Amino acid sequence: MTGVPRPRVGTGAGEPVVAVDGPVVAAAGGPLLAVRDLSVRFATEEGAVLAVDRVSFDVAERDLVALVGESGCGKSVTAMALTGLLPGNATVTGEIRFAGKDLRRLSEGGLREIRGREIAYVFQEPMTSLNPVLTVGRQIGEVLRRHRDMHGAAVRRRCVELLDLVGIPLAARRLREYPHQLSGGMRQRVMIAMALACEPKLLVADEPTTALDVTVQAGILDVLRTLRAETGTAVLLITHDLGVVADVAERVVVMYAGRVIESADVDELFAKPAHPYTRGLLDAVPNPARHAEGGLREIPGRVPVLSHSPEACTFADRCPRADDTCRTRRPELAPGPTGHPVRCWHPLPDPAATPPRPRGGAR
Amino acid sequence: MTVPAQTLPPPEAPPPAAPPAAAPAQRRRALRRILRNPLSAGGLVVVAVMLLAAALADVVAPFPYELTNFDTTLQPPSPEHLFGTDELGRDQFSRVLHGLRVSVAVGVLSVVLSLLVGVPLGLLAGFYRVLDPVISRLTDTMLAFPFLVLAVGLAAILGPSQTTATIALGVGGVPLIIRVARSETLRLRELDFVAAAVADGASDVAVLGRHILPNAVNALIVQATVSVPAAVIGESVLSFLGLGVRPPTPSLGVMISSAQPLFRDGPWLAVFPGVAIVLFTLALNLFGDGLRDALDPREVRR
Repeated sequence: MTGVPRPRVGTGAGEPVVAVDGPVVAAAGGPLLAVRDLSVRFATEEGAVLAVDRVSFDVAERDLVALVGESGCGKSVTAMALTGLLPGNATVTGEIRFAGKDLRRLSEGGLREIRGREIAYVFQEPMTSLNPVLTVGRQIGEVLRRHRDMHGAAVRRRCVELLDLVGIPLAARRLREYPHQLSGGMRQRVMIAMALACEPKLLVADEPTTALDVTVQAGILDVLRTLRAETGTAVLLITHDLGVVADVAERVVVMYAGRVIESADVDELFAKPAHPYTRGLLDAVPNPARHAEGGLREIPGRVPVLSHSPEACTFADRCPRADDTCRTRRPELAPGPTGHPVRCWHPLPDPAATPPRPRGGAR
Repeated sequence: MTVPAQTLPPPEAPPPAAPPAAAPAQRRRALRRILRNPLSAGGLVVVAVMLLAAALADVVAPFPYELTNFDTTLQPPSPEHLFGTDELGRDQFSRVLHGLRVSVAVGVLSVVLSLLVGVPLGLLAGFYRVLDPVISRLTDTMLAFPFLVLAVGLAAILGPSQTTATIALGVGGVPLIIRVARSETLRLRELDFVAAAVADGASDVAVLGRHILPNAVNALIVQATVSVPAAVIGESVLSFLGLGVRPPTPSLGVMISSAQPLFRDGPWLAVFPGVAIVLFTLALNLFGDGLRDALDPREVRR
């Protein structure tokens, strides 16, 4: 939030330097977004909480990267940290490079210039993310007036164009309507239109389809996919839904308890998961073919809340493959048996039998 | 470099061009909604008529309000003197009209003053956690400070007058407005659309002015329509104590208080100003209710 002291600027001093945590998805010509050793701590009444633990990943131009994990694994916090949107009790360390700029060194005013113009967000709750007393046109127009210095008829033209782009029929009429007159799917399209108003280089979509029903969800994913094709906007998609990931993502970064535990191209990850947790996630996707074997397989236990970064694998307590090494030494992100980076002492071998992808990713 | 306006699902036929002025249409719609509700429409009419009569008191009133006539003292209501006459033979109808003008002016202006001071302070207190303790303790102190002592102090500095009464009532009303504005801001700042606006690069001023204030207006209107009648009554208290309007200028409060000793001989002296206060405050409250509903875009449009 604004109005509260911004997260303290740390340099990562005191943090052990990890050599292995290099770029996990390298991109030719330098990535659009490069996050290195990003850590986020929250000071709470119950003591410190380590929400993000030295996370590194890249997003290339025109890329669609999915950040995947259970609730509480730190994926949303990572996204909010990019443009300094975390509340004042958060301490952020690490490096965030975006289009040649070091976002961690920008002032609040400098970040405001980035937000909405170069990095735009779409949030989970379309029902409450629009201002109820302003018309749709006013709200989209506000972004244009702020960042593009557009006025009058130009704003209106652009608004109609944007609503057309996200597939809202009767755009000119919709502009004069209030959010309550639109359905959830329509509102999420409006949110996407607002996010795209200034042609951002990166669109951060934080669970954009979670609150919507399945058919509407498919429509929104279509919009995301088409947008990338048409505007070249890179997308960082935050989700826990592997069906969505299989559907639209190109690369996947899996997070667990604040750490990146595996990252790979989407096809490779679904075909050859190396981390037991990733495997567990894939197995937990409802699959009619496996239904006969006893229904849904779930991962026992839940994501731990950590106050510090333990010298151990954070997944050890829930992992069927864990041994003493896992409980006493911290695994680092390193190329696993299948070639892509994984953070595990006992990664799964390159499987002979390919586990089925949860949903046809054909597109 | 604009995004190609290609459509995803084919949209329907191109819509007819919309009228560019949406805001006046919106206001007209609000007015229509007020008029549709008989209670708020009645309130609006009564308030309008009383305001008009008060504004045009010099023209409408059959007699000058200070004109005494010792041949016709303490007359009951009659066709010549609609509201009767007082102990000095002054026409009560004329005095009620002029008194209404003074009372309404003091009531409305003092609330406007409270809003001008209280709303910005309340927004700041709710939005900036650093400022909140300072402003909130200031508010508590003001609430703990007896209002009449404040008014007496002001009257001692400025001298008793209509302006003094307005300022005293306005300052006295500030804490309440601060509280309403602050609590609304605290509620609204946590909502998703405010977070979304911040993520879109909105400055603090933009967030407060475009997202928080417009959503707080309803609560403030309700508070204002309650505060105006309270200020009208507060004015009569101050005038009764000699801290506000001085005779012979009439205000409704002055008239009621000076009618007290004569109640047995001329009850109409207290009744008509009293009815004027009740009618005005009631009508204003009904109108305020309707206005709040009409301004809420979520209200179902029929």
